[in-house]
Parts: sequence; C-alpha cells; structure tokens
Amino acid sequence: MDEKRKDQEQAEAPTQEQSTSKASEETLDVEALDLTIETVEDRINPSETNVFDK
Amino acid sequence: MSFPITLAFVPQGHFTQPYLALPCLKAWLQEAGFADVEQRDLSIEAYDHFLSPDYLRRAKERVRERLPLNAFEGRKSLPLGELRAFRSAAESEVSADAVIADVEGAKAIMRGEDFYDVDRYVPAVRTLYHGLRLVSAAHYPSELTPHNFTMGYANDRSEEVLAATLDEDQNPFIEFYREKVLPGLLARKPRLFGLSVVYGSQLIPALTLGRMVKEALPDCHVTAGGGFLAYIGEKLMGATGVEECLDSMIFHEGEAPMGELAEALRAWDEAGQADLSAIGSLTWFKHTDVGCETVANAPAHPVALNAAPPPDFDGLPFDLYFAPEVVLPYDINRGCYYGECSFCTLPTVIGPGYRTRSAETIASHLTDLRDRHGVRHFSFITDCMPPGMIRDLPEALIEAQSGIPAEERMKWWCDARIEPRAYTKEGAKRLHESGCRKLLFGFESATPRLLKLMRKAQSPRSVSEVARNCSEAGISVTLYAMVGFPSETAEEARATLDFIREHKDVVREVSLQTFHIDEVALTYRDPEQFNIKILDGAGTDLQLYHDYLSEQGMTQQEAAEMFDEMMNALRADLPIFSGDNIYYFMQKSHYFLHLARGTTPDEFVAQCQQRTEAHQAREAAGLLRANASRTSATLPFSHVAAANTLAHPLARAARPDFLTGRFVADAQAVAEEQLEPLPPQECVLVYDEVGHEFVELSRDGLRVLEAIERAGNVDNLLQSLNSTNPGARTRLTEYITQLHRKGLITSFQPATAVPSSFTEPHELTSL
Ligand code: SF4
Repeated sequence: MDEKRKDQEQAEAPTQEQSTSKASEETLDVEALDLTIETVEDRINPSETNVFDK
Repeated sequence: MSFPITLAFVPQGHFTQPYLALPCLKAWLQEAGFADVEQRDLSIEAYDHFLSPDYLRRAKERVRERLPLNAFEGRKSLPLGELRAFRSAAESEVSADAVIADVEGAKAIMRGEDFYDVDRYVPAVRTLYHGLRLVSAAHYPSELTPHNFTMGYANDRSEEVLAATLDEDQNPFIEFYREKVLPGLLARKPRLFGLSVVYGSQLIPALTLGRMVKEALPDCHVTAGGGFLAYIGEKLMGATGVEECLDSMIFHEGEAPMGELAEALRAWDEAGQADLSAIGSLTWFKHTDVGCETVANAPAHPVALNAAPPPDFDGLPFDLYFAPEVVLPYDINRGCYYGECSFCTLPTVIGPGYRTRSAETIASHLTDLRDRHGVRHFSFITDCMPPGMIRDLPEALIEAQSGIPAEERMKWWCDARIEPRAYTKEGAKRLHESGCRKLLFGFESATPRLLKLMRKAQSPRSVSEVARNCSEAGISVTLYAMVGFPSETAEEARATLDFIREHKDVVREVSLQTFHIDEVALTYRDPEQFNIKILDGAGTDLQLYHDYLSEQGMTQQEAAEMFDEMMNALRADLPIFSGDNIYYFMQKSHYFLHLARGTTPDEFVAQCQQRTEAHQAREAAGLLRANASRTSATLPFSHVAAANTLAHPLARAARPDFLTGRFVADAQAVAEEQLEPLPPQECVLVYDEVGHEFVELSRDGLRVLEAIERAGNVDNLLQSLNSTNPGARTRLTEYITQLHRKGLITSFQPATAVPSSFTEPHELTSL
C-alpha cells in the first residue's frame, strides 16, 4: 500500500512525435477519473501565534 | 582565582534572533568583576544541529522504525489518538529525502541575500518546517516546531516533567546535550551554570540539562531563572526531585542575584564557606544531614536600569540565526508604566517597579552595539513604550546618527500602547525618521464594554487614529487582538474582526490570541468581577493556567471556534496573511527586515497581493509539463482528512498548549467522543520537491501526472485524448489548472530542437 516512488527529472521537453506515441500507451478515460486534489493549508494555530513575544 | 561562569539559553525559543536575558547577565557579571562569562544560545545551536543532513538522515531511519507506515494498512478506521502518528509517518515517507537534500540550502537562503527573494524564501521556510516535523516524528509524540516544544508529558505535573528529562526515546535534547554541550562544559568546568527559561517550552529541556550538568560536574552550582519561572518557580522548587536538576532559582530580574550568587560561591571556594541566605530573590536547596530543604530568600531590590551596562552579545553565534541580518534585542525600559490591564501579567515577570533608561543612554548604547557587532537593526524589548520616550527617543537617535544617510541609519521595532497624544501625525513622522519601522499595539477588542472590563483605558476611535497616523508616516502597524475574554459574545468578537477589516489599509498584521487565565492575573484573583468560575486541574502541582466557566458570553470551546472563524477571515483579507505570505508574519523580524531594507509597508503588501493573485491566475495554459521532482506514496487513509481533524478546536485542546504544555482536563476523551474516526480512503500523498509542499491526489490524479509525463507536455496529452466529449476535456483542463496552482505542473522553456509548433504557447482552454 505504501509504495513510494521517486520520479526522474526530465532534462528537456521531448519532441511532439515521440511524446504523442508514448501518450497513447495508456489512454485516460477522463469521464471516469477521480480528480480530487487537496492540500493542507499552512495554518496559524492558537498555540503558534505567539511570534512577537519577548 | 579563576571563576568560570556559563550561561545557557535552552531550547526552545524562536530561531531568528538572540534573546536578551543572557547578554544582560553577562554584561552585569563582567562589570561586577567576573571576567570569564560564557554565553550559549543552545536553542539556535539545537535547531542548527537538528536541521542538518546527517541528523535528519538518522531521524528518517528512526521514523521508519518507530512509526512504520505499513502499520496503518488494512485498518478499518483510524481514531483521533493515532492521527498524528499516521500523519507523521506519511509525511516523513515522502518528504524526508528532499528535506535532507535541501536543508543546508534552505538555511543558507535564510541567512543570505536570497532571503529577500520570496520565491526562494517560502520553499526554504517550508523545508525547515518539514525538517522539524521529521525530527518530531523521530521522537513521537514529542513535537518541535519553530514556536513550540511539547512532549507526551504534561508540563503542569512535576512528576511528568521530571520523567520527561530522562526519556531519551522522546526527548531529543538528551543526545544533543551529551554530544554537543557536555564535552565543552567538561573541559571548561564552570563553577556557576545559569539556565534561562523564558517559555514553558523550555522547562523540560532546562531541567534535562540541569540534571546532566549536575551529574557531570558535581562542583558546579546550577541555577535557573527567567519569565516562565517567575510564574511557576515557587511551585517547582517545592516539588520533590527538582533538587536533582537544580541547586537554586532566581526570581524576576536576574542581574543582582546572579552577581551576588557568583560572589558567594567564589567566597566559598576561597574561604570554604558561603552564605546563600542573604542573596535577594534566590530560592535554594539547603542540604542537611536529614535531607533537603527549600529556602526562599527575601526579594532583591530592582536594579537602577539607567546605570546598568548595555547588553553584551559577545560569543553568541550570530551566523547561525535564520535571518540575513541579526536583529538585536535591547531593553529600553522594564515593567509597564501603565500596568492596569486586568488580563495582563507581563509586569509580573520582570518584578516590581517601572524603570527606564534615558533616551541619551539608549542612543549611545545602540550606536556602541552597532559599531561593535556590525548590526543595524534592533527590537526594543519593552512591555510598551511610554509617551515621554516616544517624544525623546527619536530626537536622541536622530542626533546620534547625524551625518549618516537615512537608509543606513539603525532601524527598529517594538511593542506599544495606544497613546493618541504621543502618536500624532508629527510624532509618528519623527519616529519613522528615527528608524522606527513597525509598532505592535495592544488593541484587544473593538467593544467599549470589554475594553472597560479589561481596564485598557482606550477607545476604538483612538486605535483608529493612532494606526492611521503611524501608517501614514510609513510605520507598519500590527494589532494584538484577543478572543474569548470572559463575557465576550460572538457578535462582539465579530465586531473586533469588522474593525480590523475596516482598517486593513493601515493595519498590516494581527496577532490574535485566545484568552487564558493565569494565576497572576486579576481575572484569577478576583473572578467574581468577571462573572467566571475558575476550575482547578486535579494533581497538577505546577498548574499556571486554568479553565473557567463563564456565566455570560462564549464558552472556552466557542472562543476556540471563533478564533478559527476570525483567523480565516484575516487570511482572506490581510495580504500578509494570504496564502504562504503568512510565513513572514510567523517568523519574528522577517517582515521587519524587508521594511528595514527600504520596502514600505504598502509596497510589501502589494507584493504579497500580486503573489497570491499570480498564484490564483495560473491556468492550464502555456508550455506546461509535470514537475518530475516529486515523491509520492499511496496511503490507506487521507492525509488531508487527518490534518483537518487534528486542526479541529477539540483536537487542539487535547494537545499540550503553548505556554504550559498542559493537557486540558478530559479534552482527549471529549475529542475522541465527538470527532469521528477516519474511514479508510486510498489516496496518494505527493511531495513537491521544488515548492516543498504536500499535495494529496487520488490514484487517478497520479495517472494524469504520469500521462502528462509520457506525453511530454500538457498540450500533447490533450491532443492525444480519444474522448470527443467536450465536458471531459473541460474537466481535465480544470484539473490540470489545479495541478498547476499546486506546483505539480510547471511551465518550461522549449528545448532548442523542438518543432516550431511548440514555440507558441497553446491555449488549452480554447480546445
Ligand atoms: S497589556 Fe500592555 S499596557 Fe496593559 S498592563 Fe500589560 S503591558 Fe501594560
């Protein structure tokens, strides 16, 4: 479950030809995708506001 | 005869600049004839040590052993009590390598010219925060942040505090002291060792070190003092077992007692006997044949501040602080000239009486400190600036720097009280001219009824006038505001918020705090006046803060919820609070350093606004590709849901609070009962290694990123889509916009050999 992956840095953009052929390797069924995306906002906790104390 | 003294500011204090206590003591002791005084800021030394690749590498391994992520697999639900462990394990898993790789760079950004580049600053601050989360996870359930250190032990029970000093599994400072502090002390052999404890967060680290020093150097006298001990010191010195960590404690102002203690110990060394009973404000352990007795001496006389030497910062590691220029603290006065506010206990900390240095003395000390240390910036440590000083100090500072171009003159910030007669248009202009760039005013509330109960002797109208005058003069205005004062209603709290919003053109920051009752304040001593009933914690022999029941207005719980409502509104309305600009507010002096460099508050606010807007304006347009510098892990529960539940006021109450580290009675049980356990939810936690942010996606989201990667860029992917459904395209385009805003997709420059169709940005939204 907790598989971890590190993606490789792309050195530069591939050409259109290479990439469209690669893209078709796996087709995305866009209608069926679960497209949720969330981040945890950097919050100020009442326990962390005391930044101007002495 | 040599008499080495070592003074230590123990962890945890904030990491941007030194604190004032040790430099004042060092200067005093040296003037009293003790030439060999060493001072160490162990708080910044510890932060620097923990936030290093080697340490973090070890922390990462420890997290894997102590909080393995696969332990959460297959679970039917995750209760509140395990959410922090889960969150820590998940975050460490995806962020550790990137944090280890970037932590030295992040510190260098904080300490150098890149600090002023916001696009470098924000990821660097995040790297430091995430490094501390890794350190915390390695010592779970302990938590070290830039503003706090808490353990699984309650700070208001001496038994727990003392047990925490021996728990190496959870107390990261034991190893730190053993490796980084004790060897130097063993070589130096101080005869007197002083611990400075300003905050509750320092209590356990101080006693931990006291214990270790007493064991390693039995002849060294270990004493402690500082703001936090002014509140709970008496109780602490009465608790069994503390004599293993300390020999004595100094109350309130430390200079005179410390000098006399050093004299007495030196006499002891020379004559074989010493009398500690005549030292003012000292409480000490008298060891007799039958045991150990606590002796509390009479209070010392306050020092004549104007005759006291300027603080001596020699020996502090200026290059370690997380700021490009060190802002030095300087005490212009001690005590509060007003001293009437019913909630306030600040005047208690330093001891009785109000004393001030003269404007000429201040100006001459500051120019000396400037020349000696090559610094230009100061934060004046004062409960608030008195009106006479507001008038005289600018003249003295301008006079002392005549002939120096305005931009090279010293700049400063400090706390202040609303004094409309002093902060006139002309007065504010003079203050700005003398280098004042930021003032923090005690505003507290916009409701006259509450201001009267608080005995603030100020009106909202005067706040408005003072804020406007200062802001027009170019001084940034911060307001301290309070939510949950006894009897305050939700409407009254919202009136405070409305007032701030109406003044957002002149109020740049707000330090909002929830109301606490501590044992020194009038609210505790005379609760009937405020219609409240104070609750006592069972078995809490070091209790300082108390829960209470109020017959009118919001409950403590409602006030905690109101805090969130107000904070969310401030995040939406104040540019410095918007998005990740909030980091400037959260790191002491960081925003001020921009002001000191010549950026006006208006310019800074405009930059923050532009940045937030530019972020929001990112679309799925232009040459975009997946940000390949990312690490991801599939999780059995939602990281975001865990973080949100942990941020709920009920869950927050179950954690030790800022000043005391105490657990509110029954809070954990109440929170467990009311906050639903998390259901399993497979998701992917991604760490963006460029922006240093956590983003949570579904598995499909990761597939989209991979598809963009295979396609080479976003355009290619969209062109290759088989779907002819325009709704599907729009949906994907909107998602890609979101990925772009979260930093998982970035724009790029085409490589030179790219076909011509790629040199023109393609507007995806028109597909
Ligand atoms: S709140 Fe400020 S003005 Fe009031 S007593 Fe405390 S330090 Fe003085």
